[in-house]
Amino acid sequence: MKLTRILNIDQRKVSNRVVLSDNIILLIVFIGIFLLFSLLSNKFYSYMNLNIMLKHMVLMGILAVGLTPLMISGGIDLSFGSNLSLSTVIMALLYDKGINLWVSIFIGVLLTILIGFINGVFIEMFGILPILFTLGMMSVLLSVALVMASFQYADIKMVTQTSQSIAIYSDELYIFANSSFLKIPIPVFILVILVIFFWIILRFTRLGRRIFAIGGNINISKLFGIRVKKIRILLYSIFGLLTGFAAIMSISLTGIGYPYSGAHLLLPVISAVVLGGISLLGGKGSIFGTLLGLLIMSVIFNGLTILNVHTFYIQTFQGLTMIIVVATYEVRRRRSLNR
Amino acid sequence: MNRAKRESIFINFKNLNKRSIIPTLLITYIIMIVTVSLINPLFVSLESIKSILIYLALTGISSIGTTFVILTGNFDISIGSILAITSIVVAKLLTLETLGIPISVVIIAGLLVGLVIGSINGFLVNVVGINSLIATLGTLAIFRGIAYVFSGESLIVYDNTFRFIGRGYLFQHVPVTFIYLIVIFIFMYLILKFTRFGRYVYSIGGKAFVAALYGIKVKKIQFLTFIISGVTASIAGILMTSQLGLGRGDFAIGWEFKIITICVLGGISISGGRGSLVGVLISIFILGSIINMLTLADVPIIWRDFFHGIILILAIVIDRIRVRRGELSQF
Repeated sequence: MKLTRILNIDQRKVSNRVVLSDNIILLIVFIGIFLLFSLLSNKFYSYMNLNIMLKHMVLMGILAVGLTPLMISGGIDLSFGSNLSLSTVIMALLYDKGINLWVSIFIGVLLTILIGFINGVFIEMFGILPILFTLGMMSVLLSVALVMASFQYADIKMVTQTSQSIAIYSDELYIFANSSFLKIPIPVFILVILVIFFWIILRFTRLGRRIFAIGGNINISKLFGIRVKKIRILLYSIFGLLTGFAAIMSISLTGIGYPYSGAHLLLPVISAVVLGGISLLGGKGSIFGTLLGLLIMSVIFNGLTILNVHTFYIQTFQGLTMIIVVATYEVRRRRSLNR
Repeated sequence: MNRAKRESIFINFKNLNKRSIIPTLLITYIIMIVTVSLINPLFVSLESIKSILIYLALTGISSIGTTFVILTGNFDISIGSILAITSIVVAKLLTLETLGIPISVVIIAGLLVGLVIGSINGFLVNVVGINSLIATLGTLAIFRGIAYVFSGESLIVYDNTFRFIGRGYLFQHVPVTFIYLIVIFIFMYLILKFTRFGRYVYSIGGKAFVAALYGIKVKKIQFLTFIISGVTASIAGILMTSQLGLGRGDFAIGWEFKIITICVLGGISISGGRGSLVGVLISIFILGSIINMLTLADVPIIWRDFFHGIILILAIVIDRIRVRRGELSQF
């Protein structure tokens, strides 16, 4: 009797109220911020600026797209920034020593996959908290990148922490970064292909359903016979592969291998993923949410840069946006529980 | 079922104390000291020991506060930003020549900064309900940005009395910052060991849900731990401003990593509820000496992060192995 009453009330409430989904709220926020910047600056809505914004978004986007399935399955990797830096340094160093461009890029990507695999194996085999392990890995990889970058000098002890980038100039990379098709830069297509690919995997394949199941409840997934460790190690390795792609993007945009080239990426990428509705506990999230979070973060960054706001303020704004949106999520979630 | 496994099911508290990580840490530290002093005898000289004590006091004070947060099973990674913004506030107040604010007021203002930011963290985590890692990542970015903006250039402090707070020596050889560390350590140790608050911190870390069923005000206690962490970070900020004689926005970048390493190495479980402050104190010494050791052993400075990272990874792997062998309980 009581149960049906509760159910009736619930149905009435649901039918009466228009409930906005999280992604629609993000879309509204994005459009709002976009319009705001278009009003504030006439340069914002120019082709040149949007072009630059999109290219830098691709760099962050590749990482965020790779991080999404990993975080849905309950893992996390904080070492991608240093991983990317190390990869750019290795690519540039090999190219500098006279090795073929494609071979050196291949070795760089192979290295990022290997590091992702090592992360996965250690975390899953020992049952370590992924945040901690990858935090340690971050510092180790940064140091290795610094050491590698100092190989171009004769005396390592003279090298300070800054000023050690290795140039990697090549026509192919320049063309890749600067040409466009239908006025849209080529790298954007790569991001679009990746997004569609991961969307299909998460939405329509058995692997995708298993990823959500693992994040939702790891013990029940084990009881159902899902090989949790195997899948998570696979996801860590895939994220390593995408970090390698992002490293290629980074060297084509900047033309250097630099031990700190990934250091500034950690906060925006994690914020973008978290904005997209992924919880650190796993089991929730979508690729399109991540994409929207990414768009918001890069519009904020680009718009404030256009308005001549100092980089440090931009960090503040990005942090604020993240906290406000995540707080909104939490409040909405609790309300929906109370309803 | 072997003996170790049986023990892991029925937690034997007596046994846990016997097999604590502290002797292992002490032996490791002694081996490190002996090795380095064989390579370079300068390591055990008075000047070297003094500089190590000055260096480790700041990270030490801050990590003692953060231990409380980690014991309840949360993270606080905004410590570095709290430190930087405290240093900016303190230096700014001291350089306002016209007002002539007394030093005690300046110090209280500095501590208030830590209190306020700590309460913001506590509010976001406990009242709003955001995951502590994400919330403090956000405040890390926000306050680091603000700290940068307010310091176009370094704010140099000329006040000699203020400089003494961090630079002075007791009995000519003992740095005062080290005395602060010891005092704060003893105070916090007593709180954690002998008060109701301390026991609640441990029980929340063990199982927050069960603690709530026992009638412990989980949110209130967690809120307090964030405030403790913020205030100790701002104490470190005041001391750093005094030691270096200036306030800057880029102080203590990457401290969150250092401090989490100290806590994990000291045997504080990241999932909360296990570990003691004594282990933290020893690992403060280990990590505080390591830079000095590397320098004296002629290792290039770019390898420093490598050693920090390897220590963190080793510490967590050893922790997991000990849990698996049943020497420690999961809680």
